[in-house]
Amino acid sequence: MRGKKNPFPLSLWPAKNIMKTLMNKKIPNFIFTNQFGLLCLVLVFIAIFSTVTDGFTSRFNIFALSRVIAIDIMIGLAMMVVILTGGLNLALGAIGVSAAMFGGWCMEIMGIPVIPSIILTLSMGAFLGWVNGIITVKTGVHSFIVTLATMSIYFGFMTMLTEAEAFRRLPELFTDFGSAKLFNKYVSPLLLLSVATCFILFYLFRFTDIGRKLIAAGANPEAAELSGISVSTMFIHCHVLSGLLGALAAIMLTTRIGAAIPSMAGQLGMDWLLPAFLAPVIGGTLLSGGKLSVFGTMLGAVLVTLLTNGLYLLDVGEFWIRFFLGIILLFAVLLDKAREYFTLKSVIVS
Amino acid sequence: MKFLFSIVASSAMLLSSSVIAGSSDTKVALVPGGPHPYFAAWERAGQDAVKDFGLGKADYKVPAEWDLSQQNELIESLVGKGYNAVLVFPGDAVGTNKILGELDDAGIPTAALAGCVEQPTMAKMCFGTDTGHSAYLGTKQLIKSMGGKGKIAHFTGFLVDPNTTLRIKAVEKAVGEAGGGVEIIQVIADIDAYEPADEKINAFMAAQGGEVDGIVTTAWVPAVVASQALTNMGDKRIKMVGIDHDEVVLKAIKDGYVHGTMLQNPYGQGYIGSYVMDKIRGGCTFKSNAPWKSTAQTNQFIDSGTVFVDISDVDTYVDAMRNISLDILKTFEGDFLDC
Repeated sequence: MRGKKNPFPLSLWPAKNIMKTLMNKKIPNFIFTNQFGLLCLVLVFIAIFSTVTDGFTSRFNIFALSRVIAIDIMIGLAMMVVILTGGLNLALGAIGVSAAMFGGWCMEIMGIPVIPSIILTLSMGAFLGWVNGIITVKTGVHSFIVTLATMSIYFGFMTMLTEAEAFRRLPELFTDFGSAKLFNKYVSPLLLLSVATCFILFYLFRFTDIGRKLIAAGANPEAAELSGISVSTMFIHCHVLSGLLGALAAIMLTTRIGAAIPSMAGQLGMDWLLPAFLAPVIGGTLLSGGKLSVFGTMLGAVLVTLLTNGLYLLDVGEFWIRFFLGIILLFAVLLDKAREYFTLKSVIVS
Repeated sequence: MKFLFSIVASSAMLLSSSVIAGSSDTKVALVPGGPHPYFAAWERAGQDAVKDFGLGKADYKVPAEWDLSQQNELIESLVGKGYNAVLVFPGDAVGTNKILGELDDAGIPTAALAGCVEQPTMAKMCFGTDTGHSAYLGTKQLIKSMGGKGKIAHFTGFLVDPNTTLRIKAVEKAVGEAGGGVEIIQVIADIDAYEPADEKINAFMAAQGGEVDGIVTTAWVPAVVASQALTNMGDKRIKMVGIDHDEVVLKAIKDGYVHGTMLQNPYGQGYIGSYVMDKIRGGCTFKSNAPWKSTAQTNQFIDSGTVFVDISDVDTYVDAMRNISLDILKTFEGDFLDC
């Protein structure tokens, strides 16, 4: 808990603080962080793909990239907050789809206006996350098993209630958001939403009491309990937050495709699992819990999406892209193990 | 056999077509909803369209999974790469419309192939099998082979496939017209992949094989698995009408275990679809009085053809499909396009 201050939150601070940090010679520390490595990789791949592929820098492609990155960041963040507890949320996709279908039902069938429907959708995601958390804490069963079960339960229940029928006539105000273009039509507003969420989460975990308790509970549950922190409550909070962020990702995906569709995250929502793990693990969040990296997760999602897009443009077959992503995940997990051994755990939020 | 069909069909089209265009900057992407043997003929169709019509490219690109988001990402990256016309089997009948609208905004013509999107849509046309009609005709053939009475089972495709609902309704319609002598005892959907099809169809045959008198399948994989099941059981009592031209189904027809199959025309869809995209990019527009057909999803539908094949003509089915494709291509520009 008490370690050196992380030099990374440069982006949060005004210029005078940045100068102060520079004066304190903390920039060299940043160079050795995981995030700096990721940033360099992102820049290298941008340079490579801009040079060797056709159309990488086209307006259409950059806009499309910004939209995919936005959703992958949100999915990564949703998994990250559960990994913080040393757990997993395999039901993330199922929660997202269930919440999105609920939101579609609210808007299309019940005629509830967009904003209240979004709030209800987020509430549904948070509720499903809460159920995961309660079961995990009360039973003591690892969240891997609990969420494996609830993945089928949530998805099955949603399919039964909706009869696998999509909600396709959503308000234009809602669906137009996914098509909107900013900054000379290069950037989707969805990306701004994801980046803003990153800053909010960063603030939560770094500067608030509850955020620090969440990290403490994940880092060493026994010590946290002895310090007066209710670890069970903190774990439930993490699952609630995961459900909330999963629902937000699903809302973003729904605005992108213009409909709430049961298959939007694949069978049982499992298509979300790969990006969900890749972004936080590459980004520096420890699978054993207790350390997370919000901006690392963001950069991890950017890197994975860039790679996928670049490989598409290089005409690498779709099935090979899957292969490469699997290899990257394996590499990231090995890196995670190495990190546990070789890095200082003093920097707990970055 | 499929390869032979492709060669014969393309050669015949090349010789007979009087509407060969040449636009080297047209780059067509043919994107199915996911991996499936039905769409394999699109690859050859695209290659032949490049050769025969002088297109810049016509490439078959398959999403790794049946997932609308993955299909959208693939299409976006292809457009980023320079493809300027897209033929797509919609990942979702409405959801796909969003990206089609965005492509239209970018000046890229699109069409739905083998399955339609719901109107309003920016897709220039829907070119595919009239799946409902095909399922209806297939069921009629099955009922006829059963002597107009008995219990039937219907095995069909993905629930996310916009055609599945149409097929289920069409089978019900044909059964409804049978005068009460025929009853549907089971509809098994979402089995257009080998693992679930094998599990569910064999479980059904084990549990209710003695009760069922006929089977109609309206998707590729269930047709293959059901044909294998009947062949393995050595059961010629149960009548079956399948779909498409997988070798397993064709052999089962020859061996007498399957009554017949409803052929579709995926090669013609890819070949003629690529030709139409090039024409549209070249400035042609659809006539206001074009002879569109209507379906539940669209009133801009063009039937790519379907034909019933049984043991009497299973060896010459290629000719039947080739003739349908040739007929469509011969009259397409005159009937549909203002150039």
